[in-house]
Amino acid sequence: MVEPSNANGRKATARVAVVAAGVVSPLGFGLNETRNSLRKSRDCVGPVTRFSVAQCRCKTAGQVSDDRLLANRGEAPRSQRLHRASHMMIQALKEVVAQAPQFEPDLTVIGTTSGGMSYGEHYYRSLRQAADLRHAPTWIANYPAQKPVMDAQEFFGIASPCQVIANACASGTNAIGHAFECVRSGRYERVLAGGYDAISELVFTGFDSLQASTPEKCRPFDRNRSGMVLGEGAALLALENLDGAHKRGAPILAEIIGYGISTDNFHITQPDPSGVGPRQAMERAVESADILAGEVDYVNAHGTATVFNDAAEGKGIQTLFNGVPVSSTKSMMGHSLGAAGAIEAIVCLLALQHQFLPPNINFAALDDDLNLNIVANDARPAVLRTVLSNSFGFGGTNASILIRKFEA
Amino acid sequence: MSLAIAGMGWVTPLGSGIDSVWEELLDGHEASATTISEKFGDRSYSVFRVPESAMAGSAHPRLRRASVISRFAAVAGLDALRGAGVELGSQNAERTALIFAISNGGVIYTKRFYSDIVDAGAQSASPLLFPETVYNAPASHLAAILGITGASYTLVGDGAVGLAAIKMAEDLMANETLDHCLVVGTEEVDWLVCDAYRRWRLVRTAPPIEPFSEQQRGMLLSEGAGAILLARLPRHSLAEAGGSPLTIECAHPGGCFTKRAEAARIVKRILTDLGQREIDLVISSANGTFVDQAECSALEQIIPETLVYTAKPALGESIGAAGLWQVILAAKALRCAELPPVLHAPAAITLRLSSSRTSLSEAQRAIVLSCGLNQQAAGLRLAIG
Repeated sequence: MVEPSNANGRKATARVAVVAAGVVSPLGFGLNETRNSLRKSRDCVGPVTRFSVAQCRCKTAGQVSDDRLLANRGEAPRSQRLHRASHMMIQALKEVVAQAPQFEPDLTVIGTTSGGMSYGEHYYRSLRQAADLRHAPTWIANYPAQKPVMDAQEFFGIASPCQVIANACASGTNAIGHAFECVRSGRYERVLAGGYDAISELVFTGFDSLQASTPEKCRPFDRNRSGMVLGEGAALLALENLDGAHKRGAPILAEIIGYGISTDNFHITQPDPSGVGPRQAMERAVESADILAGEVDYVNAHGTATVFNDAAEGKGIQTLFNGVPVSSTKSMMGHSLGAAGAIEAIVCLLALQHQFLPPNINFAALDDDLNLNIVANDARPAVLRTVLSNSFGFGGTNASILIRKFEA
Repeated sequence: MSLAIAGMGWVTPLGSGIDSVWEELLDGHEASATTISEKFGDRSYSVFRVPESAMAGSAHPRLRRASVISRFAAVAGLDALRGAGVELGSQNAERTALIFAISNGGVIYTKRFYSDIVDAGAQSASPLLFPETVYNAPASHLAAILGITGASYTLVGDGAVGLAAIKMAEDLMANETLDHCLVVGTEEVDWLVCDAYRRWRLVRTAPPIEPFSEQQRGMLLSEGAGAILLARLPRHSLAEAGGSPLTIECAHPGGCFTKRAEAARIVKRILTDLGQREIDLVISSANGTFVDQAECSALEQIIPETLVYTAKPALGESIGAAGLWQVILAAKALRCAELPPVLHAPAAITLRLSSSRTSLSEAQRAIVLSCGLNQQAAGLRLAIG
């Protein structure tokens, strides 16, 4: 048998275990709430509350409740000053640490698209309108993309170096994929990986200006799909050399077995209509895992519900995977950009652990040009061993990871 | 794993081109500061800007609407490939990875985009500007120009991000089917960024930058790009390198500090780890801020006899591009066996700094040290021969 190789053929030296995971998203706080929301097909998209959307076409998003997010932040002034994104990261890492208190990463790799953007907005708006700038130093200090990562690490006494990947909407999957390769190559024993993003006016308005977001429901792969809705959240996976994890008796939640990355250079905001970019990423993930495409039991699609994305991705999926169940869980929680790949990796993890197919809600009829087996509207039980998660982004960045149920 | 530097590209306020900028530095020249202001701001700031004359080669159709940050990156990236004699076709483009290091990103277009929203509401937001506000827009443009279809990553961080990107390249290049990794650091300067750093008392109003001064009067921001093309050593011939190979012997993973006072501890650890071999020079990131004290303290304790150089008084603080600039400086110093003068440093300092051109005969190893302004630090060791 050929030894497994990485996305581009490198000889593998280690199996990569997921030993802990944490998540906060519109679907809920933690793995249990997330699983319940997925099983109940909850629509977690609602009216935007954080800023005015009166002039936007789209008025909705998947949002994390501040009442819960900030409830436990404490009275310390420093904690009060942190950006919401930091609190999301702290919340996600809290769950990881509770599951794996001995996990000390050699490296942390996190995806994001916009860091503490809303603090940048406060700063600019206050400057522009000659308003109160007393809090400007706080906004500026908490704006950098690496800050929420460092805040979360500091909160739990973790001091590993961090790499913050900003590959647009593929960032979270890129982060997990790169972390996977770092452990698989034997260069690192443990890597903390994931993604975060908090909703902001600038980004929301940007997608609205492109008419990529919809005033209607988010309907991935539907004939009448009309665009995406935004979301937010944070998710983390603790990856460890499987042998090392075994030796210390760590519970293994799943294995990451493959990663594919590709770049298509068609257009900065649109995929190549042929679907070549997504297809290459998925192909490379399958090659990396040294499995057959037919072994993939479920695809958690990028599925933004924009006309172009779903068409390109759908073509890639149907070319490679004949009849595999497909869903986009963005229909339930919106597109959380840099966090999306990480949250969806956790959706896949839960699907494997609890043997069910997460639903693609708001679905009525498949696009006439696509031939896909959509998990329409309701979760359903299934026998799952290997699942694929896709993320694609502006700039033609495409990433896919393969996750497998752990079998000792 | 050691990686060879196969080619380099440099866009700076002292012009572009590796040899041209290097000669300017050897001659003790420093960039001219220009003053930038903002209609709603009550202050002006001095910055070092890239002259338009340095931007030859940035006229690609893909860059027509792109911000200058993408144009800087394209010029530097293409220069690095040209310098290495590498032409990317469909075959080797797939075997080439691209990593970008960025701090503030496309801040000029981001400000314009948001300014329209603040002034006239969401309906005036420009769909043409928005894609250029995304951190990976410069990487996307260069990938398209070069036809890269494989791995492309954009890393975001502070001044240490350039060295973090090289560390990432080292990890990626463990992959034997990658032949090259092009690492590009790029940054553009804007009034808004100057004002933000001023609120943390990190910028000064006018030149000069005084490195290692006890007063810590602050830095001046600058812009530009640096690019290095990395190749795996066994496959990289001496002919390609144009002489003895320059190698990145070790890229340190670095670390984070939560308070400025802790920066020296992280820098010391990096220096201790990298200083296991005999070190002939250190390219420091000293820029007139607290960074200088952290680096000075660590250098004094770990390798007090080693020659130290910083180019920031001459070129300014370019943050996302800075780490790449420092690696280029180390490479040129080792290759040319010479070091430019350190400008505007205090006379009374315990570190070995030279205010004139210094010969480096027999120099074989350099450490590049980068202590960022937002709590990240990194380092690497470079060797020749």
